[in-house]
Amino acid sequence: MPPGQYVTTDFPVLSAGPTPQIKVEDWTLALQLAGSLLGNWSWAEFEALPQTTIKTDIHCVTKWSKLDTTWRGVTFDDLLKGVGLAEPPTPYVMAHSDGGYTTNLPVADLINGRGMIVTRYEGLPIPPVHGGPARLFVPHLYFWKSGKWVRRLRFMEKDERGFWESLGYHNYGDPWKEQRYDGD
Amino acid sequence: MTEDSLEHFMDGNAAGSLLQEFFVLDATTAQIQCASCGFTEQVASLRLYAATMGAILRCIHCDCILLRATHTPHGRWLEMPHARYLRF
Amino acid sequence: MIEPAIAPQPRLEWQLAEVRAIVVETPRVKSLLLQVPAWQGHLPGQHVDIRLTAEDGYQAQRSYSIASPPEDALLTLTVERLDNGEVSPYLVDDVRVGDQFELRGPIGGYFVWTVATRGPLCLIAGGSGIAPLAAMLRHRARRKVRAPALLLYSSRSLEEVIYREELDTMARGDPNLRLVNTLTREQPDGWTGYRRRIDKAMLAEAIFAPEQNPKIFICGPTPLVEEASRFLVELGHPFPTIKTERFGPTGGLAP
Repeated sequence: MPPGQYVTTDFPVLSAGPTPQIKVEDWTLALQLAGSLLGNWSWAEFEALPQTTIKTDIHCVTKWSKLDTTWRGVTFDDLLKGVGLAEPPTPYVMAHSDGGYTTNLPVADLINGRGMIVTRYEGLPIPPVHGGPARLFVPHLYFWKSGKWVRRLRFMEKDERGFWESLGYHNYGDPWKEQRYDGD
Repeated sequence: MTEDSLEHFMDGNAAGSLLQEFFVLDATTAQIQCASCGFTEQVASLRLYAATMGAILRCIHCDCILLRATHTPHGRWLEMPHARYLRF
Repeated sequence: MIEPAIAPQPRLEWQLAEVRAIVVETPRVKSLLLQVPAWQGHLPGQHVDIRLTAEDGYQAQRSYSIASPPEDALLTLTVERLDNGEVSPYLVDDVRVGDQFELRGPIGGYFVWTVATRGPLCLIAGGSGIAPLAAMLRHRARRKVRAPALLLYSSRSLEEVIYREELDTMARGDPNLRLVNTLTREQPDGWTGYRRRIDKAMLAEAIFAPEQNPKIFICGPTPLVEEASRFLVELGHPFPTIKTERFGPTGGLAP
């Protein structure tokens, strides 16, 4: 267990705003670079991509950790392959969500299976309060980086801080180094 | 922890102690105008989200973030992205 | 009487509160009566933050309305036990007289009422939202004020009406205090009162008319608070006369 964390059997909901109620018929996911769309998937197209299931622990910066959680979705690597890219075009990504939430990551923390867009939790569609229909999933970082209701991954040449990162939270967020706050 | 697990939000009253770290006067009694929809409301009745990470206070009418704040070991942050003014 | 909005607020410091008495209010609700050594007093409607530290170092912080009036020497917090809760089961099941925990306050200058405020007092409560409103009514009773007051209180069943006997006694002894209960899930035989969630028709019938210019306080779960507030505006009560406090499912203002 990372330092300062406590195990929970619940699954607390922490949201920065109201839960968007998105119908999968209206859902799309985009990969964006500057002004252009590198890729865009409808729900059906997204579900047709290679699916990966992962069982892992998740760690929230508010100190709860949940062990052995199972998620299913599409790896970032498979998204890149899906648009014909062998590697990410820039060093950073900003994940944009319905409702306006954002979180930033180095692409190095998304590739090689480290990051996914997930649609199932414990075998069932992710409930809206937990980020459904699809959320970003980057379990090796604090869970605020796993942005709920993700809709767009924007490639960035330079790092920009997302929602919590611009309000005093750590820019990177490694739970094993206890990087909760900017300055840790 | 499951006390946070129902879909609900509270209001500015519950952000009272955090806001007290920024304002000399009681911010929960202040009026705040939304720059997005123009509505004026009292900070105490704004919808409060993410209270375990800080305070995100949203306009009751259009859900814009009027005030967001955190208190971390390295400092306090306050932003008022869509607020036109606070009136005490 | 200091107007909270224009007076600089004193710095909030954590103090150690000691449980001096525990009162069982209903099967799921207990009141904790606390001794807080350096307590400076409070206004009815204000709340406190409490902080609990477990043996393994885990800390949890919650906010609770002060249910006691400023005239009481001990501070009363009324806690509803939420089955999956983190803090409320500890406060309701495990806390014993003599236990201590950290507390700071009082907090909040918005949702307050004192007898210095003129006009009829209209209180609308859902479940454990009764706590800050009880502080107001208890303060009113202690000051022996006779200005009209009304409490519309929504509970699931008679057994879950918090402070039931005290409120009934208060209303019996005060012709200017009207108590209206609505029991939404279960009613005893012979119940002639309301048996549904607070709605616009109930508000139109039960509470003061806008012309009487009541000061209105609504406290309880978010849906009840937001709906009641909306209905009241539709019934003609000016928005600035309505003050709201939304509770989390703990029955407190969870942070």
